Amino acid sequence: MHFLYFDAGLGAMLVQALVAIVAGVVLFSKNVMFKIKTIFGLHKNTSDQDVFDDINIDDSQIENPSKDDK
Amino acid sequence: MTNNLRHDSSYRDPSGHVFVENNTIKRVIFPSYFPQYNKLKNSGFFEKAFQHKLLISHEELQNTETEIYIQPEQIPFITYPYEWSFQQYKEAALLTLKLQKYALQNGFSLKDATAYNVAFYKGNAIFIDTLSLDFYQENTPWRAYKQFITHFLGPLLLSKYHGAEFLKTMSNFIDGIPLKMIASLLPKSTKLNPFLYTNIHLLAKYENKHQEEDVKATKQASLSQKGLFNIIDSLYNYIKKLQLKEQSEWGNYYQKTNYSDKAFTQKSKIINNWIQQLNAKTVIDVGGNDGTFVREINSKIDLALVGDIDNNAVDQNYYAVKKNKETNMLPFVIDLLNPSASIGFQNTERFSFVKRVKEFKPDATLALALIHHLSLTGNVPFENSAAFFASFSGHLIIEFPKRNDSYATRLLNAKAEFKDQFGHYNLENFEKTYTNHFQLVDKKEIPDSERVLYLLKNKNA
Repeated sequence: MHFLYFDAGLGAMLVQALVAIVAGVVLFSKNVMFKIKTIFGLHKNTSDQDVFDDINIDDSQIENPSKDDK
Repeated sequence: MTNNLRHDSSYRDPSGHVFVENNTIKRVIFPSYFPQYNKLKNSGFFEKAFQHKLLISHEELQNTETEIYIQPEQIPFITYPYEWSFQQYKEAALLTLKLQKYALQNGFSLKDATAYNVAFYKGNAIFIDTLSLDFYQENTPWRAYKQFITHFLGPLLLSKYHGAEFLKTMSNFIDGIPLKMIASLLPKSTKLNPFLYTNIHLLAKYENKHQEEDVKATKQASLSQKGLFNIIDSLYNYIKKLQLKEQSEWGNYYQKTNYSDKAFTQKSKIINNWIQQLNAKTVIDVGGNDGTFVREINSKIDLALVGDIDNNAVDQNYYAVKKNKETNMLPFVIDLLNPSASIGFQNTERFSFVKRVKEFKPDATLALALIHHLSLTGNVPFENSAAFFASFSGHLIIEFPKRNDSYATRLLNAKAEFKDQFGHYNLENFEKTYTNHFQLVDKKEIPDSERVLYLLKNKNA
């Protein structure tokens, strides 16, 4: 069920197919570059300056995940 | 609970709305959103999202056939996107993407992605619009994609190229910066970057091309979930690395140019004693730079709002909050000579800074190394600044740099031939005018400096 309470934009909906393809290529090539740099030890460690973590959420971090929300 | 007062900012989403009852924010949900709500609740998604600190937690108050009432955890002070520093803005954008990815992995999707869905609470950005979560439908693109670009990626990019002051323009574009404007303001070279070309320029072109067509055609647009993850991951990676052109190195930003070490130590000692004497639990520092003086306070503070006009200083403060994992410090960008106005429909959707701070009623207000900027840079008469501080503070700790203080002298000299007209800027006039609104409790010269600290009590509080 969708509530069309604001205009998502038809162009914006259609263009996502192209955006996704390019994003896939970019992600893939970045990944390859990262591996190459790691092999040659060129990877710069910037974690000291970084306050933002990865996008992926690790569910195992939750202590006693409850199945039902009271 | 049926005759509740709907919050003026909460009318866009027909699934329910926010209202205020006995000074508490609550939310009513209507039957059209019951399927989503029940699934989010029964699948344990709400609980998981609360624990991961992605979504503001809530408790269910009442559940009937016609209405469900929930009460979210209360956030004592809301800052708006146009009051965020660049890094805060980034965190809000990244949080939105993180929640969207997590939602997708659990069969849900964000149906909107405005910057107003995010607040800063206990040291982190948190998503506050519970009803933004909807079911994910296989092979559909992200409905809120355009909103994410106009609310997050666009403003961040424009700040990168034109300075963080650009974020302030968000107060003029409550529905996000128009795509055409983002595209035209970005340097031509951004068209050569495949990520920026597709997410900005191509998007703007598509939106322009299809704007006259029937919305129902949206049904033709399809996108695999893998594709959706690609978009979200690449947005996340790009924004995470985004830096301002003018960004200085993280580090010790506070410049003690006008203080000797002795003066600095004495100044923080005096402030510390007064804060303890007042037993202040909530504090606002209106020209707080990177939060240095608030961090020097030894007594326990529940919440300190630290505003500054300089985006970079606020970023430094924010960085310290993150590194030290502080939960009682809220940095924000504010220009006291032009604080955020009330905006939106009927001017009641987003509240002015002055209104919010009056409601917050801090136990103590700090105005350190600020009055010479208000009086000499902004030409604000003592009478007006005193009335301003008196409008929201029970107690005011204010620092007065005398005319022969090096910074005050510099500002006075900048007045050139008008310098004589600023003869009123002196200690006697300051005291005389401020005591119209405040009672003088204590006054201390800062040793080894040309500055005086005052502890004032509001006569009307």
